[in-house]
Amino acid sequence: MTAPSDEIKQLRPELWETINERYPGSMITKTDFVPLARLSKLLSQTRLTFVSSAGIQPRGSMPFDVVHPVGDFSFRRVPSALSVSDLEIHQIKYPTTGALRDLNVIFPIERLQELAAEGLIGELTPNFFSFIGYQMDPEHFEQTLAEDIADAVVSDGAEAALLCPA
Amino acid sequence: MSLQYLKEAVANNENEKLIRYVRLHLGDGNEAAGRKEIDKAWVEALKLLLDVPPTDREFILGTLNNQTPATLAHLYFHLHFYFVQRSGVWIHDGTL
Repeated sequence: MTAPSDEIKQLRPELWETINERYPGSMITKTDFVPLARLSKLLSQTRLTFVSSAGIQPRGSMPFDVVHPVGDFSFRRVPSALSVSDLEIHQIKYPTTGALRDLNVIFPIERLQELAAEGLIGELTPNFFSFIGYQMDPEHFEQTLAEDIADAVVSDGAEAALLCPA
Repeated sequence: MSLQYLKEAVANNENEKLIRYVRLHLGDGNEAAGRKEIDKAWVEALKLLLDVPPTDREFILGTLNNQTPATLAHLYFHLHFYFVQRSGVWIHDGTL
């Protein structure tokens, strides 16, 4: 097992360059990284939440605004006890073919439920959290949506968060 | 393109930059595809009116008169995707 490192790197810089070539200025590089917090206890004793940019939401809830040219800065609570049949995707900016066959590939709600039932994870927060990743205003995103999700995660009593970009 | 880039284009009246962004947005990063998508939406709208079916002009004029320009602009983007979806030729990876 590799020892955890405090060194933080920009992931996949070549991808940033490629996207910036097509959408100049759309990908930002953060220089003021917030250090990741270390778990202070075992995962089996930890309350875990899940945060996803996959555009997953409970069926019947207000669809994410995927047509807006700047983005949708709202998020959805996804009760962690739901099954994938209770969920749907509203997102047009990534291939969803695989996810439509089994939503767990992009939003592993049932796998996390299984791990919690097996005791590998202490417990799950009452809700998971979802938004869409297509955002044209990173500053607004950071100041509103990211803060709103962080508040909601804390309110749900999360002790650790699994973050999953789509 | 960042939002700042687009706002500067508006301030400098550089419409070509804005048009390029709209095409990229509607074409999922492919400008030529976005241009075709815009044409496709208009063709689909035109086809629906060729037989001059009854339409609700009171609703249309009421919407235009009573809604904010921003809401109408948002509606415009919704209508684009509505007609693209209605055309049956969907180039996007996901769903509305």
